[in-house]
Amino acid sequence: MKRPLLCIAVAFFSVNAYAGVDVVIHPSNTNDINANVIKKLFIGKSKSFADGTKAIPLTQTANAPITGEFNERVLNKSATQLRAHWSKLVFTGKGTPPKEAANDAEVLALVASNPNIIGFVTSGSADGSVKVVQSF
Amino acid sequence: MKTKLALAIASCMLAAPSFAEVNLSGFASINGGKVLSGSGVPQFGIEDPIFLADYPIVSTYDEEFSLEPESLFGLQITADLADGLSATAQIVARGANDFDAKFEWAYISYELNESWTIQAGKKRLPLFYYSDFYDVGYAYVWMRAPADNYTWQIFNYNGINALYTGEVGDWSLSGNIYTGREDDESNKLLSEFFFGEPTREIWKDIVGGVLQASNDWLEIRGTYMTYTNQRYRSGEPVLWDGKDEREGDFYGLAVNADFGNLFILSELNRLDLGGKLDTRMLTVGYRIDSVTPFISYAEFEEDSAGGEEHNTTSVGIRWDFHPAAAFKVQYDNVNDESFDLAVAGDSEAITFGIDLVF
Repeated sequence: MKRPLLCIAVAFFSVNAYAGVDVVIHPSNTNDINANVIKKLFIGKSKSFADGTKAIPLTQTANAPITGEFNERVLNKSATQLRAHWSKLVFTGKGTPPKEAANDAEVLALVASNPNIIGFVTSGSADGSVKVVQSF
Repeated sequence: MKTKLALAIASCMLAAPSFAEVNLSGFASINGGKVLSGSGVPQFGIEDPIFLADYPIVSTYDEEFSLEPESLFGLQITADLADGLSATAQIVARGANDFDAKFEWAYISYELNESWTIQAGKKRLPLFYYSDFYDVGYAYVWMRAPADNYTWQIFNYNGINALYTGEVGDWSLSGNIYTGREDDESNKLLSEFFFGEPTREIWKDIVGGVLQASNDWLEIRGTYMTYTNQRYRSGEPVLWDGKDEREGDFYGLAVNADFGNLFILSELNRLDLGGKLDTRMLTVGYRIDSVTPFISYAEFEEDSAGGEEHNTTSVGIRWDFHPAAAFKVQYDNVNDESFDLAVAGDSEAITFGIDLVF
């Protein structure tokens, strides 16, 4: 009776342990983008890249495993903390949470078509149409 | 003013379908509780114990369990008209007001550049750290922002606000400068609770600023506001030192530190209306997965003999049982130290509820 639960737990943890996150931008974007810059952009603390151009962060659907991994590893926040953080900004007119893409493919297509967008995809899924700036 | 603005926003929205992206979001709290014991305020004829959970909305619990005083439902509509222009309205229905839905926020917002945004309309007066999202229980750990600190009569204002976002090294900066006024024809806190007669409260010539700096774990917020107060009790102007108006200055400092699991929240405020009214708050919480126990102390002290003075010690737990909803339970122990300016007497109360955002 306990074994299936254990298997599920193991499967869950292994997803967390082995998938990785690649942060991607448009190939023409030459800004220096470190982990701190990414964090600030995705929690609404900054709105532009180092050169002053507007930055548009793009997340993935809230229940996608890659989103959870990005939130935990890069933003260092649980889904709940992040939601509390955004509700603070949204209901006070101080910010809008990033738009959500449906999957890696949509992130790649949007990033490839707009130099302002910064997104993240499952490790290894980026193609030549985008530039990987950080891996977590 | 209110109606005009609401109309302006409504007409923006009516025109919206072809031009604007309209977003709907909201928050709700279903809270209940009761007083366990207390003194009441016999000198003012209140014999039974009461717990004043918050001042501006006058949420009071008595010995009968009630779900009304602090339950609320809020809906926010934002019309994004592109190129940095947007219109936002927030409608809140409160149990304390028989769930009459009212516009609490109604403003237009224009993003000048990556650093500055100008907003005009009806907004929450950003005196305290938690003022802006006072209604959004999901955004904080307690059942409510500490009542002894949040003892304001004027909750919202009509005016102009300039919002700033920037960075200095590893610090993120945000701030705002605002000006405006509020004329509350029938102020709930003063009319129903303090004076027992219709009271009109005016705060005019409001000018204030907020500056907030934060890094990964530390957040510091400083604020100052000045205003001119006028008050009419049953239509008669209230006189202070023979004058029908008085100047008020508000100073506030909040420091929050987050060490991952352990976090500390603090706030120090002073309202100077000739006499000084000081408020202080300290909260410590610890996150254990989805459960966050916390302990909190808040006090209000008037700098004069026999002045208003009260404090509250609270313990509670927030449990994030769902990605968009939290269950909270809190015990409060209120000490009302003053006699002539007693507010609601001593009390012990238990309150619990669910906060959600959507």
